[in-house]
Amino acid sequence: VTERLQGAREGSGQRGRSAAVWGIAGYSTVNAGGRGNAASWQSMATGRCGLQRNALPWCDLNAWIGEVAGVDDVELPPALRAWDCRNHRLAWLALQGDGFAAAVRAAAQRHGPHRVAVVLGTSTSGIHATERAYAAWKREGRFPPDFAYRRTHALDALCRFVAAALEVTGPMVTVSTACSSSAKVFVTARRWLECGLADAAVVGGADSLCLSTLHGFDALQLLGAGVCRPFDVNRQGLSIGEAAGFVLLDRQPRAVNFLGGGESSDAWHMSTPHPEGLGAQDAMRGALRAAGLQPRDIGYVNAHGTATVANDRAEALALSAVFGACGVPVSSTKGVTGHTLGAAGVVEAIAVVQALQQGRLPPSANLEQADPALAIDVVTAGRPLRLRHAMTNSFGFGGNNCSLVFGLGH
Amino acid sequence: MRMHLQLHAAGVLAPGLASLQDLLALARTGAGASAAGLPLASPATLPPNERRRASQVVRLTLACAEQALQAGALSGRDVRTVFASDEGTGEVCQQMLEALATTRLPSPLLFHNSVHNAPAGYFSIAQRNRQSATSVSLGVDSFAAGLLCAAAEARSTGQPVLLLSYDPAMTAPLHAFLPVTHATATAWVLSAPPTPAAPPAAAGLTLELHDGGAPVDALPGWAAPWAAHSSARALHALAVVAGPDPGPAGLTLAIGGQRLRIERASPGEVPC
Repeated sequence: VTERLQGAREGSGQRGRSAAVWGIAGYSTVNAGGRGNAASWQSMATGRCGLQRNALPWCDLNAWIGEVAGVDDVELPPALRAWDCRNHRLAWLALQGDGFAAAVRAAAQRHGPHRVAVVLGTSTSGIHATERAYAAWKREGRFPPDFAYRRTHALDALCRFVAAALEVTGPMVTVSTACSSSAKVFVTARRWLECGLADAAVVGGADSLCLSTLHGFDALQLLGAGVCRPFDVNRQGLSIGEAAGFVLLDRQPRAVNFLGGGESSDAWHMSTPHPEGLGAQDAMRGALRAAGLQPRDIGYVNAHGTATVANDRAEALALSAVFGACGVPVSSTKGVTGHTLGAAGVVEAIAVVQALQQGRLPPSANLEQADPALAIDVVTAGRPLRLRHAMTNSFGFGGNNCSLVFGLGH
Repeated sequence: MRMHLQLHAAGVLAPGLASLQDLLALARTGAGASAAGLPLASPATLPPNERRRASQVVRLTLACAEQALQAGALSGRDVRTVFASDEGTGEVCQQMLEALATTRLPSPLLFHNSVHNAPAGYFSIAQRNRQSATSVSLGVDSFAAGLLCAAAEARSTGQPVLLLSYDPAMTAPLHAFLPVTHATATAWVLSAPPTPAAPPAAAGLTLELHDGGAPVDALPGWAAPWAAHSSARALHALAVVAGPDPGPAGLTLAIGGQRLRIERASPGEVPC
């Protein structure tokens, strides 16, 4: 047992017939690019911007946002109504789409509902419910009687809601590491599967529009007044979006597999990336090691690419350090979806899975003129390309980094 | 499936408790917990700029982590970390909610300090640690979830993992929904044998998941004032795992629909 464990330890293996793969048995996303996998991919593949000028009735910030159409109209079924909040409505939309719930049902039938783990990421959970309740408390001196902090805003609410919606009872955890949250869930779930704690895992996450992140990023002067333009010479900052995405992982090799992830810390600053992207390099190299691959094996990188001046510069330096100058085609799909924060990891993981399946590179949406100071090969127009392996990057506050590698099955 | 772990060192911070020895004495005698708050020094390991900004939860977690690192003679620079808390930045979030409900101008510091992984970020800065840092939550089951993450990471990577379980005190008005009155925290340096780089083991433990049903252990009387704290489960578990022989064989915690059974084991025990 010991030998087998050591052989399977992260980053120790070469890619080969015996290397572990984690099959993608189903996935579903809703984001500003579209509700459902097909609509989302259609926008990403063509670089259609899903962002709009903010017209939220409860926020007057001058910014562009990626709002998912119809979230306000979602009605949770009676048995789940106690969990009602914007974040769970978004999650519910994704859970209902693309046969995802049916795939989880099949896994629960095969392995038992107690063998299906729930490992989800969110940055702010349902904090918008507390924002409203807190404002009411300021006005009226008491919280609204229907304010349900534990079932909306608490970080575990997302896991408990999703487990209830999918009727699975396996071990669960919420990972909350800001904008790397729903990337790191892949690595955590992989370890749980590897250790035999579960036979399948629902991974992913959700983050929804709220005052906290809109005004918070505005306070940090990281919000662009115009639409976000990742890797553009005139990029001014990010646009915030909302999204949910879920992936069902199991131990069976499938058409597309999760091959491994790398995690690291910048150890530099709470909200500014390391200027040379040292932590980002560590994460990318760690993901390659875990997947048993070399940089030349990667055909496409879906970048973190937030369109802040600092992120795109540091990420480009890190990409050059790992892949060589202009060594791999790179794009950011945040021009389509906005920066969906804790959901960005899974939204972009799904984009990579779709790029592998379709054999197509999504362009960097909203790009007008690539920044000549960045030594990266930015995909400016969608194009077909035979891909075997692709990577996605997610970097968060606190210098928290995660890179994931996916590959086509044999 | 049973997972074997070694505990190399531990840290404890709670009202009246400043070390593992204090915790074990409290568990033995039932006396020693203090009703007063926990004074938290500003972390000397942080650069001056960051030190001034350090919130209660950053002081709590950094001090507790340092205690465990010193006890285990382990470098804080290379260790992987898992931070587990119910609402680890609740106090900071509340200050931000106050700003959003009034001026809508939260300070930039408030915003980046409000993320759940702020303590992990400050720890990495303080220790110049570029390893993986994972911040997790599962309400009052946060410790069980964090322990499972740390155990799986120790086993999958073959490296020691520092687990922090903590709850900062919550202030009014949201204290009504999150009744944590005093800060409490534990730190665990764990590894899954064989881990060649691990320091000597002080205690051993095994973890096993069971499907629902089994009753969850109630907190011992000495931990009752902290019933709403996720980290009170960690104080209880640490007192069992590191406690003197003979003591309780183990304890059962909830993790979603599952039960996590934690049992004491000999520190030298290695799975075959």
